[in-house]
Amino acid sequence: MAFNPEKFIDEAISEIKKQVGGGKAIVAMSGGVDSTVTAVLMGRALGKNCAAIFVDTGYMRKNEPERIKEIAAKSQLNLRFIDAHEEFYSALKGIVEPEQKRKIIGEKFIRIFEKAAKEEKAAFLGQGTLAPDWIESGSGLRATIKSHHNVGGLPKEMNLTLVEPVRELYKDEVRKVGKALGLPELIYNRQPFPGPGLAVRIMGEATREKAGIVREACAIAEEEIERAAKEGKMLMPWQYFAVLLPIKTVGVLGDARAYGYTVAVRAVESFDGMTAKACPIPPEVLEKISNRITRELKEHVNRVVYDITSKPPGTIEWE
Amino acid sequence: MKVLIVDFGSQWTHRIHRTLKYLDAESEIVPVSTPVSDILKADALIFSGGAMRMGFGEDDQTGNAREYLEKFSGPIMGICAGQQFIGMHFGGKARPAAGPEFGKVELMIDDKDELFDGLPDKFTVWASHNDEVVDTPGFLVLAHSKDCSNEAFKSKTRPIYGCLFHPEVEHTEHGSEIYANFLKMAKK
Repeated sequence: MAFNPEKFIDEAISEIKKQVGGGKAIVAMSGGVDSTVTAVLMGRALGKNCAAIFVDTGYMRKNEPERIKEIAAKSQLNLRFIDAHEEFYSALKGIVEPEQKRKIIGEKFIRIFEKAAKEEKAAFLGQGTLAPDWIESGSGLRATIKSHHNVGGLPKEMNLTLVEPVRELYKDEVRKVGKALGLPELIYNRQPFPGPGLAVRIMGEATREKAGIVREACAIAEEEIERAAKEGKMLMPWQYFAVLLPIKTVGVLGDARAYGYTVAVRAVESFDGMTAKACPIPPEVLEKISNRITRELKEHVNRVVYDITSKPPGTIEWE
Repeated sequence: MKVLIVDFGSQWTHRIHRTLKYLDAESEIVPVSTPVSDILKADALIFSGGAMRMGFGEDDQTGNAREYLEKFSGPIMGICAGQQFIGMHFGGKARPAAGPEFGKVELMIDDKDELFDGLPDKFTVWASHNDEVVDTPGFLVLAHSKDCSNEAFKSKTRPIYGCLFHPEVEHTEHGSEIYANFLKMAKK
């Protein structure tokens, strides 16, 4: 039996009503499809008793905060915007190990949500957790591949009860729900973005400076790949982005020696994120991406490489 | 009809559940500690894959699974570590694979049997294994790949099957049809 989004929506709304009862809830919203679908489902179920919270971590995509406000207005969500740049940058100072990064980010999110919940007098926290999030976070016999910030990254002690209406779904299914909810295609077909944000696209310490570099590199890779797909030069990948490596290499810029960072470009085709293969980017598009990144970020980056690994053995993101 | 998916801890255990759901088959993911009496109520069993290294004899976390193999007489299918475990239980040799496979693999069918009924002789599957099982007495090899001599097998005497690759993931071609063929046997 194919997945029936309308039936899912009806069941999810009545489940949320049952779980939250007459109480109040907040819902974490990042602007991606999972959390937006969750926010809209909770909004429909709880009306004024639900507030959507957006935390700007400082590791968001380019122009994301503006985009979120627009999305929330279009979806008639009661949005609260929290600027937490400084808090996140200082919490991640000196942190290199990917699991530690994810756990610090997960904890930070929860502490911020707890504070917001107190102010909203809410006892419930809605999250757009999908099946791969809790699968990859591991438990019991299942190995931890990466601690998703909303599952394995949660602190042991927290004062909020989780509401996770889409936790049995995969990306392709949550997209169908988003479409059936009447969300704009820009949202329900949006490429996935990791919960911990650009912090896991910076190998090594995720400093403010590096967040700025990888944000621009990602924006360039996205723009060029989207353009090439639109022009029919390549398939539209399932996910596509840039990663900032801590490796410095020697280059030559304007007859002078350069010593800068390396950026890796990745594009994959997938269905549900559980398996993936490299989505071929034509050489001329790669060249354009490499040219733009090394010119527009010339102070920082002088080398661009291309990642062609499938999942398994790789994962889609690098951390 | 109800299928129990015995969870060895695979990243793709829930994908098996999803694949069966899309085939209109009721299924439930259960831990290896499930009492045998509950297992006997099922119409079919699937042993998922997992991170346990059967090639190093790491079967100490398989709970009651050996007992399921002895007492459950309906159709059983093992995937990846689940296949290796079944082969090992019935006297085969699990070992670190001569050629570990991760990602895309070309599967070559040796004997279509009921499991691969209606499928091509060769197709692309997705694998993720460090170990393999060989020399499985009482079992017939149904498929191989360039690097692995035993990608799928069946018992000569009981409705027990195993695939070293993962038919439940999206990148495996005809994966859902393999499960549909298995379900047909369970309906008999």
